Amino acid sequence: MPANLCITPDLGKEDMDPEVSTRMIILSSKANVSESEVVNFLHMLNLPLTIKWTCYGAMISGKDKYVKQAIKELRKLDPYGIFTKERGFAPGDPRRCRGHRYGPREGFHQMEKEFRILDYVGEALRNPREVEIEKKEPVSVDYFKEALESSFKEESNNSSDENKSEDDKE
Amino acid sequence: MVKVAIYPPNSLILADLIERKGHTPLALQKQIRQKIKDPEIDSPPMNITEEDPIKGLKYAAIEVPSGVRGRMSIIGPLIDAAEAAIIVDGAPFGFGCVGCARTNELSIFCLRKKDIPVLEVVYPSDEDETMLMVNQIMDFLDSLPGGGGDLEGEGNVLGESSEENLGGQ
Repeated sequence: MPANLCITPDLGKEDMDPEVSTRMIILSSKANVSESEVVNFLHMLNLPLTIKWTCYGAMISGKDKYVKQAIKELRKLDPYGIFTKERGFAPGDPRRCRGHRYGPREGFHQMEKEFRILDYVGEALRNPREVEIEKKEPVSVDYFKEALESSFKEESNNSSDENKSEDDKE
Repeated sequence: MVKVAIYPPNSLILADLIERKGHTPLALQKQIRQKIKDPEIDSPPMNITEEDPIKGLKYAAIEVPSGVRGRMSIIGPLIDAAEAAIIVDGAPFGFGCVGCARTNELSIFCLRKKDIPVLEVVYPSDEDETMLMVNQIMDFLDSLPGGGGDLEGEGNVLGESSEENLGGQ
């Protein structure tokens, strides 16, 4: 059966509410908390939110003020390991949720790329320090000439030595 | 508090850092949310309606492919609302959500052309480069007026002004 990419979702009242926002909570791999701890903590806040446990962390949906309050509280658990971003679609929306369609969810590939450097970002926030990056520059013409000439000389010396040894053998 | 446009417009790291400094990231997701809540859209998730390429005419000429104009109808209002911008250069292939190289070029061109402070950083590949990128972004955000605590940015990122702009074309 082909994947139905044009599902007409049966949106609830909450999905159509302009005050409702959804946030993804993404944990870096060096975070001090696990996904389950995050979800438990969010439940314990007792705010009127929809909370979804996901592989990258969690997703929360609800009125904007409650979502922001929950994120503020949650960040205190590990300020440098918990990252959040807004999400356009509600949790479990059939147009995005992988449970209803094939292949990776849109946005997965970008998150995968960003997840790889989240640890470094957390570390940069925790211990900011000055760094200098050495820029790779092209070899200068003089150095290139020198290197070429020396290698030519070496090669010519080697070949003359070889000729001499062959003559000696004969 | 400043509205900061980001490129790629759905970047997790950029949006998170901006929010930590108390500014408002102009992320694409809020625009998309408005689109998907619109009951008049017939065939979600094909969220581009025939109105969108017309709106996109504000940003791209008529001979530009309708795909670019349709995308610009969503990204354009974010660029209009921007008071500062952070652009990531040299990202690996496929980085970003736009899915169209020409739209990326046009959006970055519009941001550069706009008379706002713009920070261009290089996509990092190791720890030192990431440290440099984060330092640059934090310094840039500190240099912007306002700012404050975590998540104190505005909820309604576009406000009424940009809608008026769109309505006026």
